Amino acid sequence: MSKKSQMDIFQSLRKDVFGALEEAADFDAILKIEAESLGKSGRLTNILKSLKDMPSAERLVIGSTANALKKEIEEKMKEKKEEIGKKIKTEADKAEWVDVSIPGKKIKRGHLHPISRILDETSAIFESMGFEMVEGPEAETEYYNFDALAIPKNHPARDMWDTFWLKEPKDQISLNDRSKLLLRTHTSPNQIRYMEKHQPPLRIIVPGRCFRYEATDATHDFQFYQLEGLMIGEKTNLAELKGAIELFFKLLFKDKNLQIRFRPGYFPFVEPGVEVDIKLSQSLEWLEIAGAGMVHPSVIKAVKLNPNQWQGFAFGMGLDRIAMLKYKINDIRLFYSGDLRFINQF
Amino acid sequence: MIFSYNWLQSFFSKKLPKPEEIAEVLTIYSFEAKVLKETRFLSGTKDIVLDIDILPNRAHDCYSHLGIAREISALLSLNLNPPIGGLNSPKRSKTKNFKLKDRLEIDVKEPDLCRRYIAGAMTNVKVGPSPGWLEERLIAVGQKSVNNIVDAANYAMLETGQPLHVFDFDKVSGVQNQKSKKCIVVRRAKKGEKITSLDNNNFALDTDILVIADSREPLAIAGIKGGKKAEIDSKTKNIIIESANFEPTNIRLTSRKIGLVTGSSISFENEISPALAKAAMDRATALIQEIAGGEIIGERIDFYPKKFKSARIFFKPDDISKFLGISVSGKEIFSTLKKLGFEVKKSKENFIVSGPAERLDLSIKEDVGEEIARIRGYGKIPPKAPGGLLFPVPPNDKRRCENMIKNLLAAAGLSEVYNYSFAKAGEIEIENPIAADKKFLRANLLDGLKDNAGQNFRYFDEVKIFEMGKVFRRSGAGAKFGDMIEKNKLAGLTAYKAPKPAKEIFYETKGILENVISSLGISDYWFDDSPDTEEVKTERPMAMAEVKIGNESIGYINKDSFEIDLDKLILLASEEREFRPFSKYPAVIRDIAILVSPKTKISEVLDAIQNAGGELLMDVDLFDVYEREETGRARKSLAFHLIFQSNEKTLSDKEANALMEKIIKALEDKREWEVRR
Repeated sequence: MSKKSQMDIFQSLRKDVFGALEEAADFDAILKIEAESLGKSGRLTNILKSLKDMPSAERLVIGSTANALKKEIEEKMKEKKEEIGKKIKTEADKAEWVDVSIPGKKIKRGHLHPISRILDETSAIFESMGFEMVEGPEAETEYYNFDALAIPKNHPARDMWDTFWLKEPKDQISLNDRSKLLLRTHTSPNQIRYMEKHQPPLRIIVPGRCFRYEATDATHDFQFYQLEGLMIGEKTNLAELKGAIELFFKLLFKDKNLQIRFRPGYFPFVEPGVEVDIKLSQSLEWLEIAGAGMVHPSVIKAVKLNPNQWQGFAFGMGLDRIAMLKYKINDIRLFYSGDLRFINQF
Repeated sequence: MIFSYNWLQSFFSKKLPKPEEIAEVLTIYSFEAKVLKETRFLSGTKDIVLDIDILPNRAHDCYSHLGIAREISALLSLNLNPPIGGLNSPKRSKTKNFKLKDRLEIDVKEPDLCRRYIAGAMTNVKVGPSPGWLEERLIAVGQKSVNNIVDAANYAMLETGQPLHVFDFDKVSGVQNQKSKKCIVVRRAKKGEKITSLDNNNFALDTDILVIADSREPLAIAGIKGGKKAEIDSKTKNIIIESANFEPTNIRLTSRKIGLVTGSSISFENEISPALAKAAMDRATALIQEIAGGEIIGERIDFYPKKFKSARIFFKPDDISKFLGISVSGKEIFSTLKKLGFEVKKSKENFIVSGPAERLDLSIKEDVGEEIARIRGYGKIPPKAPGGLLFPVPPNDKRRCENMIKNLLAAAGLSEVYNYSFAKAGEIEIENPIAADKKFLRANLLDGLKDNAGQNFRYFDEVKIFEMGKVFRRSGAGAKFGDMIEKNKLAGLTAYKAPKPAKEIFYETKGILENVISSLGISDYWFDDSPDTEEVKTERPMAMAEVKIGNESIGYINKDSFEIDLDKLILLASEEREFRPFSKYPAVIRDIAILVSPKTKISEVLDAIQNAGGELLMDVDLFDVYEREETGRARKSLAFHLIFQSNEKTLSDKEANALMEKIIKALEDKREWEVRR
């Protein structure tokens, strides 16, 4: 073979390989070109293999040309591989790009009633203070709702609690006066119910539904929730009542600077009785939020305990009112409306 | 009650602080008070009225200007003057040795209902309009001026808290055969007696009602309202003034019965001290003499069999300190009680005190504690953390279960509602219902949820709600009524505005309920056909199945709703879970399809498969159900995955095949069932 024809072979090889590389669209195509030119029996490999049979002068020229071409092809291939790699990566990236601003898949969940939420929060706080949560009946007897709490029949104090009375079915055994039935007007009957069965010292809270026969408006309903508290000990005193209530409201409203104020109040089953006002740190107004006092000795006596040994405090607060304040609800009647436009906000 | 600032000022020589300050002080130390308005009179005087919310335990002494003045005096340490125009120089009738007893007989037949009766008499009074200052005071507190005599009695009541009444002496019928001697009888009304009140209303009386009568007929309903017969008119010359004390309960019951509430009835039903009667009589007499002239006839008659005495209270300062949680000195106790008009004695450490005669709210040492605390100011009692041993609070399982159920339902898309406990129908009737559709206590929760759904459809296409609450049922005859009528229930409802296949809604509802029950750790629950009883037909006609745990029914499920007994559910819930080691060997899964009649229950097929499969059948999973026509019959096709697994070895194909054959045979033993191969 002449030197000239050898060089022509190089030319056409170079042309073929570079042309093919230019066309190559993926890794497979490049690998194929590589095999055809630089592989075991590739065109360039074959030329290099044949060098040993050539005269030394010719070998030197052809050899160096072949090696230069090999180097050139390898470099071009590397370049091409990188180019394709980049292209693939870009395409992949393009395919997996996510618009994170699109809202996630909607999971339909229900909502708990705001009073359930308040009840959870209040009981958690009082439980942390050692108060046990107990419950009592909504249909009460006159004895537990009134008499045992020093609110005798025909006493003007009863006017403080307008009452729903229940008709007694005629086929029931006749009841004595003591168990004439009504809907409890407050949760206080549970002070008696609990103390009849448990020895002090004790601390309880009693949440529950109460009823009062009264006209409704945005701040009054004939049905509402109350939370009763009772603590009895040998030295339980008014300063501790103040401490317990202050701590509770500070925790509930998450307001370290919340202030509380006691004013004289009257509930026949406590002595002294106080009205509890709170003032939130951003507020200018005092808000009446609870009634409280030291348990009246006549109540202690009614459950056959010795008032010289045991003393304590009790308090009652409206959970509806607290929920209204906490969630800025403007009408108490919304609580019992079953309106999902209201409930779905909690 | 409404109070006049000028009137309150009249008890003090020193100028009182501004009305706003008075209201503030009263609010913090006594009663909630606010300044209502300023009134200007034609005379040029102006007055400011305060609305003071007297606490019921102080109604005895504070439904009066003097009572509030006493509070102000104690709170601001201001000296209180006796009421102006006290009996300094009473004019007596010139007729010497004239005895009232000769002209007037007082006969109290009911000393239990009338604890004191003071009667005074005056002659030659001149009835006319009241002087301007008096009229202005009455107008300021919202009263009408009638004439000077009536106004004076009214004024004395508003000032002292003791209601008074004035009769025209000459209109009172006399004692029989003694024309010049009048008689006043305090007795129960006779059956059929009637009275026409001063404002021309007629009242039928009965024997429960106490009246002030003359020898013939009632002159007044005791303590509530005067009658027409002995009314003061422009010609009245001689008068009888009554200052009495009536028993509170009787006044209250009468006032309710005849439907008449007056200032007088309010005072009496709150109970006032019999000691007030004399002071009020003095005040009224002096005032009448000042503004209507006249002379007092003889000594007044005072029927007062049981003298009132304030309770004596014994205590040590330590008792008060222990109770209030602050240290209170004997000195503070002494000065506070003195300011409040107590009689205070001290022997060594012990105090023996009694409150002023007009106060009936002071009988035990705790009452004294209240006075010490409020006069010091509750603001000066520093809060303390509750002391004593702190017992760990036992977990409230019921509440925990309830919360778990609520959260499960919310997660399943149901929102929680609270409805009223009242309903238009039920078993327990309200004696005094607040509305026609709230005559009963609710006997179920679902009716309420259905109403909620209807209302919410105005704004939502689907309504998924639940409620947890009490329903009220009548217990069986003979049972004790009070304890047995309340039940805690849980009800849920899934409703769609657009029509949807009944089955789809049912399985959704059922799935929600199953999720709740199984999440509580209950596994042996199932759904049984509703029993064909009258109770079911009338009470839950829509019920599709009873919900059972073991053998106990806990409630029922309708197409789109359920109502179950929450207490039972919680009682049966055990969250005690036990770990069961899983098998180390692979499971073999085979599928099977069966054609059955459409009425065949899946639970029957499952039972048959499980019984035949035995221990090695670890699980059966229904994955397809459809109905179709086949050779003219409606058929239901069921497809199950059967999972076989052993705890001891890898099951071979042969073993699995043998089990499958056994199951197929068991299924084909039933007529109508056909295993598709």
